[in-house]
Amino acid sequence: MTEGQGAPIISALRRAVGAGRVLSRREQVAPFECDALPVYCERPVAVVLARSEADVVATARLCHQHSVPLVTRGAGTGLSAGAKPYGRGVLLVTAPMSEILSLCPDSLTARVQPGAINEQISRAAAAHGLYYAPDPSSQIACSIGGNVAENAGGVHCLKYGVTVHNVVALRIVTIEGEVLSVGGDTLARPGYDLLALVHGSEGCLGIVTEVTVKLTPLPEQTRTLMADFPSVRAASDAVSAIVRAGVIPAAMEMMDALAISATEEFCHAGYALDAAAILIIDLDGAPDEVEAELSLVREELGQSGASRVQLADREAQRALWWKGRKSAFPAIGRLSPDYYCIDGTVPRHRIGDVLEAIDAFSHRYNLRVANVFHAGDGNLHPIIMFNGEEADALKRVELLAADILEYCIEVGGTITGEHGVGMEKINQMAVQFSDAEISQFLAVKQALDPRGLLNPDKLIPTLAHCQEYRAIREQRRDTGNG
Amino acid sequence: MAEHNMSEQLQRAVRQALENPAGKGLRIRGANTRAHLLPGDYTDEAVPVLDSSAHCGVIQYQPDELVLRARAGTPLSELESLLASHDQEFAASMPQPGLASTLGGAIACGWDGPARPYGMSLRDAVLGCRMINGRGDLVNFGGQVMKNVAGYDLARLQAGALGTLGVLLDVSLRLLPRPETSASRFFRVTPEDLPEWWRRARSLGPLLRGTCYLDGELHLHLRGRERAVSAALASLGGEQSHLDWLAVRDLRHPFFCTDQLACVNLPPRSQFRPATGEAMVEWEGARVWVRGGDHLQLQRQAREQGGFLQVLRGKALALPAPARDWQRRVRNAFDPAGLFNRALYSTHFHGAGD
Repeated sequence: MTEGQGAPIISALRRAVGAGRVLSRREQVAPFECDALPVYCERPVAVVLARSEADVVATARLCHQHSVPLVTRGAGTGLSAGAKPYGRGVLLVTAPMSEILSLCPDSLTARVQPGAINEQISRAAAAHGLYYAPDPSSQIACSIGGNVAENAGGVHCLKYGVTVHNVVALRIVTIEGEVLSVGGDTLARPGYDLLALVHGSEGCLGIVTEVTVKLTPLPEQTRTLMADFPSVRAASDAVSAIVRAGVIPAAMEMMDALAISATEEFCHAGYALDAAAILIIDLDGAPDEVEAELSLVREELGQSGASRVQLADREAQRALWWKGRKSAFPAIGRLSPDYYCIDGTVPRHRIGDVLEAIDAFSHRYNLRVANVFHAGDGNLHPIIMFNGEEADALKRVELLAADILEYCIEVGGTITGEHGVGMEKINQMAVQFSDAEISQFLAVKQALDPRGLLNPDKLIPTLAHCQEYRAIREQRRDTGNG
Repeated sequence: MAEHNMSEQLQRAVRQALENPAGKGLRIRGANTRAHLLPGDYTDEAVPVLDSSAHCGVIQYQPDELVLRARAGTPLSELESLLASHDQEFAASMPQPGLASTLGGAIACGWDGPARPYGMSLRDAVLGCRMINGRGDLVNFGGQVMKNVAGYDLARLQAGALGTLGVLLDVSLRLLPRPETSASRFFRVTPEDLPEWWRRARSLGPLLRGTCYLDGELHLHLRGRERAVSAALASLGGEQSHLDWLAVRDLRHPFFCTDQLACVNLPPRSQFRPATGEAMVEWEGARVWVRGGDHLQLQRQAREQGGFLQVLRGKALALPAPARDWQRRVRNAFDPAGLFNRALYSTHFHGAGD
């Protein structure tokens, strides 16, 4: 659509939400051309900065009326190009709707607008001894609406669950501009679990305009252990051993040697530079429980071959270890002109196999991969380091990423644990799912967004796309090229 | 444990039913231990039964994965024994009204036990499922891993769908280590004092796994590591309770032996005193069972307090259907011919409209 063809919807949007909230000049829309996966960019016809649910309703209605695609974006921290605008469409930004509307310590809930920042909710709740449990690494910047759209996870999901486990109600706007309430005050709900259906639907079914989150009491005590290992395999085995011993740590994170050295240089967290892998483990709960689990975990770490186990003896030490973990991505970014983070989940007992396979694949494409991830969940985040200036670099990165994700499927895992499919993993959907399964996904999409206007071409590929990708993949295999 | 894969036979039966557009659809049945708690004409003899109880057995269980994948017809009691032998249990507490109650029936009903407010709900614990949809296709959603956001979450959607979206074949559920020990205490409490007790109970933190108020006695259920539970008991006081928590979970407690039984679901810490009938209060006031009450009157009372009433025994009353248009569209997306459990769809999803 040219700018001229876009004009009717732009003027209608300006009348509906106010001229100042609709951006359409090239330089105005340029900052919104991608999310945090900038290899995919496109400029929308217009950007609407929503202030209220009424703005969202008006925008949806107009897009529906004009048959214009509508992509919703929160803070734009997504890592799968799920919020990449559609060239012929409107981009609706809910980030300005960022208020915490109410907080109820009795019912352990907070009602917030979709643009509220994840960490702000925990800050507001802290006064009542509560917090919002899911904590993606981007929690200082990511919005709760985006968390719902992606069903975001984080470091502490092993014990406290992901977004879908921590949201009790939503208000959503359909593409027709209807406002629906899903979930609610009661623990049991009548009807289908639409609340679950909307989580992780990546803005393809509706637009979230209000979120009621569940708050969790701050644990009475948290102790943090760090264990160094001489091999990635030994660290992986320790993860399984701890779970087998009947302990569910609040967090259990692993970093490999490359991630350790990058991070240590960046923030001097005190990581062992000679370790092949480290595990950082949080145990929380009632002090008596924590003490009992501490000795169980220490024992398992020792038996799994840890060369050193340290217990943080003061809060500052804990905070530093975690600061290192949470700044691993930017730290790795300093070592390489570009990096690309992927996201697959595998059965816990296969982590060692998958890490070894990743190492082998990376040599095939002459790329370096650092690993820093949620080991307790089996949720891997291989970070591929590359130089985008090299002519074929991005192509090699995409092939390596595809090999890794498809290996995750092969060992019984999935192509995405928490970052979403977006545009990025649309090809691998064809590998993970059969045509009958893709057809069922498309039927749900067709039922709730019959014209396919909400976030088109994301999350679920067409059957034709699936067949095409499977054919290309077969060909690659036959020719032995990757 | 018996082991039978009946996927192909079940799929054939669904496809045959699809070929008969004038047919009455299918009633999906497992061990048939829950039908008497689902009033309505679900038991209409004219509708052919699709029996999935023979489709049983464990497909995958590796204790360090904290996941169990089993066929829908497997009795829950057998699965629980298997898990117990590895010091594990289901992350959600699932009511088992009969000894033969199956995994598939539990998922289809989506009911939760007394531990619901203190742990995972059943829908929270669902990781994946394989099913036959209304097109007669075998489809698999979710998986066996802790985190999975590939595609829409169509596995969790099956929890509580009462089989109206398809025939469940295999289900993957989250597990947890079995707590080292459990203990129960009771206190004589007046209804007026309950809100204060809910606050007190919460100070037990993650050790609290159940509350039940019946006949003026408030029972608290604690589970956790030995050391922590004994320390908590010492400061809690109270008398030792002999409440059979499993009987409460499974609706086998004598309280439930009545031909007029309903469940009132309410916002947290509600103070609900049924105008008629006797009450058992669970979930810190968020769930009240009422025996022998006037259901129409209770339904009004529940609505006034922001809740809703679900009849288990007595004349069927339609449940509210929030976002009703989406309920209908979702049903059509899975089962365009309306093949599965039509009667349950009309009482549970088609709604009273509020």
